[in-house]
Amino acid sequence: MDHHMEELAWNAACLRLEDYLRAHAVEPRERLLALTLSILAEAKSAHDKLPGLTPLECTMRIASKKTDTWFSLLAGDPARAARARIAYFAGGRNDLFLEWPLPEDFVASIRSAGIEAGPALEFQSLIRRELDYGAMQDIARETWDRFSWGHVLSAFALWLAIFFAAWGIYLKFFQ
Amino acid sequence: MKPFCGTDSLKPDVISLRQALFLATGAGITICGILLMVAILRVDGFSVLEWVLLGLFVPLFGQIAFGFTIALWGFLILLAGGDRYQVMRTLPEPPAAGPVGATAIVLPVFNEDPDRTFRGLESMFRSVEATGAGGAFDFFVLSDSNDPDRWVEEETEWLRLCVKCQGFGRIFYRKRRVSLHGKSGNVADFCRRWGKRYQYLLVLDADSVMSGETILRLARVMDANPRAGIVQTSPQIVRGKSVLQRFVQFATRLVGPLFAAGSNFWHLGGGNYWGHNAIIRLKPFIEQCVLPEIPGHTAAARHILSHDTVEAALMHQAGYQVWFAYQEEGSYEEGPPNLTESLKRDRRWCQGNLQHFWFLFAPGTPFTNRIHIFFGLMAYLTAPLLVFFIGLSSWDSHVKQRFAVYVAEPWVPVSGVWTSGVLLALTLTLLFLPKLLGFLHLLPRTKEFGGVTRALLSTVLETLLSVLLAPVLLFFYTKFVVLTLLGLRVTWKTQNRDESSIPFGEALRTFGAPTLCGLAAGAAALVWSPTLLPWLSPVLAGLVLAIPTAMITSSEAVGGWLRKLGLLLIPEEASVPPVLRDLDCPAGEDAMAVSGVMQVAISPEVNALHSSLLRRSRARARHKADHLAGLRKRLIEEGPQGLARRELSALLWDAEAVELLHRDIWLSAEQDLHPWWRHALRHYNENTIRLDRRDFQGL
Repeated sequence: MDHHMEELAWNAACLRLEDYLRAHAVEPRERLLALTLSILAEAKSAHDKLPGLTPLECTMRIASKKTDTWFSLLAGDPARAARARIAYFAGGRNDLFLEWPLPEDFVASIRSAGIEAGPALEFQSLIRRELDYGAMQDIARETWDRFSWGHVLSAFALWLAIFFAAWGIYLKFFQ
Repeated sequence: MKPFCGTDSLKPDVISLRQALFLATGAGITICGILLMVAILRVDGFSVLEWVLLGLFVPLFGQIAFGFTIALWGFLILLAGGDRYQVMRTLPEPPAAGPVGATAIVLPVFNEDPDRTFRGLESMFRSVEATGAGGAFDFFVLSDSNDPDRWVEEETEWLRLCVKCQGFGRIFYRKRRVSLHGKSGNVADFCRRWGKRYQYLLVLDADSVMSGETILRLARVMDANPRAGIVQTSPQIVRGKSVLQRFVQFATRLVGPLFAAGSNFWHLGGGNYWGHNAIIRLKPFIEQCVLPEIPGHTAAARHILSHDTVEAALMHQAGYQVWFAYQEEGSYEEGPPNLTESLKRDRRWCQGNLQHFWFLFAPGTPFTNRIHIFFGLMAYLTAPLLVFFIGLSSWDSHVKQRFAVYVAEPWVPVSGVWTSGVLLALTLTLLFLPKLLGFLHLLPRTKEFGGVTRALLSTVLETLLSVLLAPVLLFFYTKFVVLTLLGLRVTWKTQNRDESSIPFGEALRTFGAPTLCGLAAGAAALVWSPTLLPWLSPVLAGLVLAIPTAMITSSEAVGGWLRKLGLLLIPEEASVPPVLRDLDCPAGEDAMAVSGVMQVAISPEVNALHSSLLRRSRARARHKADHLAGLRKRLIEEGPQGLARRELSALLWDAEAVELLHRDIWLSAEQDLHPWWRHALRHYNENTIRLDRRDFQGL
């Protein structure tokens, strides 16, 4: 990769990283720049060891890993990392993003945030009753049981034959 | 007026007397009409055709007569100062304080606009909180949405609302994986999961709004009347923007109170349930109202589509009362924006109401519920009967030259003509007198309707519009009934759109057929029986003008112009109730709306929310993981348009796949991303509606 191409590749990585951090609500420019530069520096040194990756892939892997780790630490349990992420966004403390250690009250507020989509389940069965629909049901059932398209078609064919026979007789003998 | 000391104090004599009065009035008017018709037809002896005509006339006239009877009794009741036997009158004045039964307020949604749905929910939540008894009420959004974008948007709106209103633990969201049996299945699923936790269930529609005061009063009335199984409110149609919406909202104010009071007069505790804006006693509902199957030769045919009427019948059959709290204010809904949407809804109702036929003859169905079912059936069945009647009577008139004699020599008294005039006058009275009575009823409050002159002009306009729309509805109802009876589906050559207006091309496709029918019938009358044409003209005019009628009634611009003129006004427009404020999206905000799929893929917040709401499977089959990986790859390479809706849904149902999608999108090089994603990533931070962080401080 020549120097110009490499510069373009790192430029793309930098832009993506900025977008990623802004998607995490890192809005103040100073903070955004500081985080971007720190992760980019880390990515550049890692890229030397992993030349198979593009600068963008390398940078975003590091950013993604850092973020996942930070949310897992914040949640205290990796299984609750997604909920910690929601609580972080709701908490409005974007100045603390990727910082460690964190203020205890912030960590406590994240861990205690109750984000439940439903109360505890208390299952019960709903039992469908058979309903008696009276005589109409019997009539309908008998009709369905006896109904067949074969019968309909044969009856239709029979009446068609009778009609044409009568028509033929009329034409032959009465006209 | 004596107080109503509870629904248990209602004597059977009162119910019997009222039902006898109601049936006698309706039957008496019907018999008058039949005698007049017999007098017309027997002039030169009855032919077979005329016997058929008489046979059709009886149910058609009967329906008009009983409709009028309901309005007449309603007017008399309102004139007398209201009905003593109203369920809400069992509540003490001033209202009692103290705890109320635990109530779940459920909002089943299916691809509705999440912004509007959650704004309504927010209004209700705040209104309930303001009563001071909010702790007794939990809110549930029960989603059956199969549009992945809508699904994610609903989740985002839910989170926004919970954060904004401190609603965690009080406002819940549930998405069903399998949307079995539509809305009734959705509510049944709620009952199965959480029904034990609550005493009452308040069912809403996505566009329903109810004030906290009304919700609290409904819960209190259930507490006070242990035999009340369902209390149905009379939701007022509000926020009309298009001409059709304004027409419907004014019509419900004009004649609605009469029909509501008249209905309560005859059925009392044997009322009907409309499926929303009603409170239900959960225990008997779960035990007694699980929908049975109706006879049918396929599973789909055995499923009840229109569940509400059946649930009311089952509740009543189980010994519980179903009341109509028709004078309770603070219950609202919105009307369909245009004729096409209104007809789509009618088509569903038609199919559902025709299924109720089975309950008409089912042993044990209470009498009042049989009447409700019969009226529901006749609401649609009369359309083909009326078409048949108009056709046959036109033929009969042509053969007998009934009108020709009258037109040629009007001064010559012709046998039967006077009787025909009386019958015509009676029919018109039955059709239009309720509107006059409705106007008289709103006379003391005309200020709320823009003043006497404007209220009168609105009444005339409403009447003209209803005359113009009736033949179009007649045409489509006939089509719905015939296709339903043949077991065929009605398809629409239209798309669901947010805006109400119907463009010309769409109007032509949908309403071309009634226009052609009107023109053909008019031409036939002109050629074969010109004297008949003036008598058919009200029906033919409605059909011929179907296309412009559909277009004009769908127009929000014309609707706004009518509002500026002070026509078709309703009291809620003069003074907007607090619960209806803030339901509109602030100007400009809607332009920033972004795709839900984009949000779930790009936004770390929405992605985390979505995946945390999904149940994680402990182990996944290899082939499933491969399939999802393939879908993920295609989504990234081909954009959301490259996947079918069910493929997107399959991907969004898997928590791990959703998290990996988020990671893959951010980690992919530009050239590996579909242009849709490149654009989305570049503009995500600028264009996305970010959850308003000022509202989040309290979490």
